[in-house]
Amino acid sequence: MIKYLKQYRFYIILFLFLLIPIIAIDTATRSPRNYWPHDRAIISLTAPIQSVISWGLDLLVSGFQNYVFLLHTRQDNLLLTDENRKLLNTIAGLRETEQENMRLRKLLNFQEQFTLESVVARVIARDVSTEFRAIRINRGESSGIQKNMPVVTNEGIVGKVLRTTANSADVVTVMDLLSAVDAIDERSRARGVIEGYTDDTCLFRYVLRTDDIQVGDILISGGVGGIFPKGIPVALVSKVNRKPFGISQDVEVKPIVDFSKLEEVMVVTKAEHVPLPQEPTVRKATSAKLTEKGETPTESKGTAPPASTPSGKPAPVHAQ
Amino acid sequence: MTRLLFQALNAPVLILLTAVGIAIQTSLFAIWPLNYFQPDIVLIVVIWCALRRNFVEGGILTLIAAHLAELHSAVPRGTFGVSYMLVYLLVRGSSRMLVIPDLSSFVIVTLFSSLLMKISTATTLHLLAPDIQVLRNSLFLLFPGAAVAGLLSIWGYQWLEKFDNFTYKNRRSEESLEQDLNLDSEGF
Repeated sequence: MIKYLKQYRFYIILFLFLLIPIIAIDTATRSPRNYWPHDRAIISLTAPIQSVISWGLDLLVSGFQNYVFLLHTRQDNLLLTDENRKLLNTIAGLRETEQENMRLRKLLNFQEQFTLESVVARVIARDVSTEFRAIRINRGESSGIQKNMPVVTNEGIVGKVLRTTANSADVVTVMDLLSAVDAIDERSRARGVIEGYTDDTCLFRYVLRTDDIQVGDILISGGVGGIFPKGIPVALVSKVNRKPFGISQDVEVKPIVDFSKLEEVMVVTKAEHVPLPQEPTVRKATSAKLTEKGETPTESKGTAPPASTPSGKPAPVHAQ
Repeated sequence: MTRLLFQALNAPVLILLTAVGIAIQTSLFAIWPLNYFQPDIVLIVVIWCALRRNFVEGGILTLIAAHLAELHSAVPRGTFGVSYMLVYLLVRGSSRMLVIPDLSSFVIVTLFSSLLMKISTATTLHLLAPDIQVLRNSLFLLFPGAAVAGLLSIWGYQWLEKFDNFTYKNRRSEESLEQDLNLDSEGF
């Protein structure tokens, strides 16, 4: 036996090398998986490095934006060079803080609109592969983040949490090739699924050919699947190709969120259910019934105003 | 003794360096437009393992490096394992037939391996999930990715060569160590 093992050692090892990755493939369902302890150890090593590099890059970019690009202005004001330099340094810091403040304020407004409980996190790294579009954020289980939690910005949906460690989490974005988000056309209420396609485009699939889809339409999350709250903007329709035959039409969409400038995101830890506003006729009937009983009719207490869209129009709330 | 210790540390340190390399790659090349020119650190390590390690050690290191890459990606588990193992076996096989003597040959091998890696990953993904639209993006980034990988490999292999020299992992050091151990055992 040992003799044969020695004789065919090379082929056995070759077979094992080919077998191990094939066994590891679990794309059939691609269910969110957790890290093993040794994976967590590696992530705890690499995540701080990613944070430091990301922070350094931010500093460099803000340095360029706030100092190097202002060199010509500085030459025009030679008399005030010393004073200016000090002021520019201070302004550079303040401007960065102000921009961050504005972004966070927008996030907060968004949070209030949708009555969400959330954790704000910073993007520290992107996917190792150019084919996939995941991002890593600097918040994890210690901040209450769990798998499958939706990740949004003030603009719209970013993606959902794929895996977590204590201090970081991987987010699979709507641009990812294997991402699928149930969505509705805000105007025509046509329903479909948004799937990743290229670096800046997604596909709106399974939309019936007869559905009314037009370029510029806003697509909002449909709420099916239980991950994303209903009514959050996901993408804008950029191209419609309606064939003369067939069941569905080809629709290309551009994500609402600008992924090239994504710095902070909001992980939704709890999304409250928004009660449906009553129809005027229903409301009248209810108030009449209440008057008959001698009770005072009251307005239904909505936990949030209807979701607004980037176009400024209030998004209609529909039954799921 | 020190040489033995350094040699034993070679593989774990190489794994750590790969992890650090991936961390740098994913964060430094995260901003637009650098994300289109992301090099593949793991590919360089895999090719180095294929050409400078024995079959078993190189294969195990390849599987570990592929796993490290998967930890930093949303790619389905095992996809990189298949692709990098394919690259490893092909480079190793071709080194038996072709002469790959110096740095410039290594760079050419890297360029072709990068193309092969992308095509292999796209094919694996297409076979696993035919509905996903992977080909367009892969083809678009096929040559920029290969060019950057080739460029980085010029320094990458030099650093790996120095690292192997430092840890007595190169062929000459190993032969010298073996001779020393033989002499020790014979009482010299």
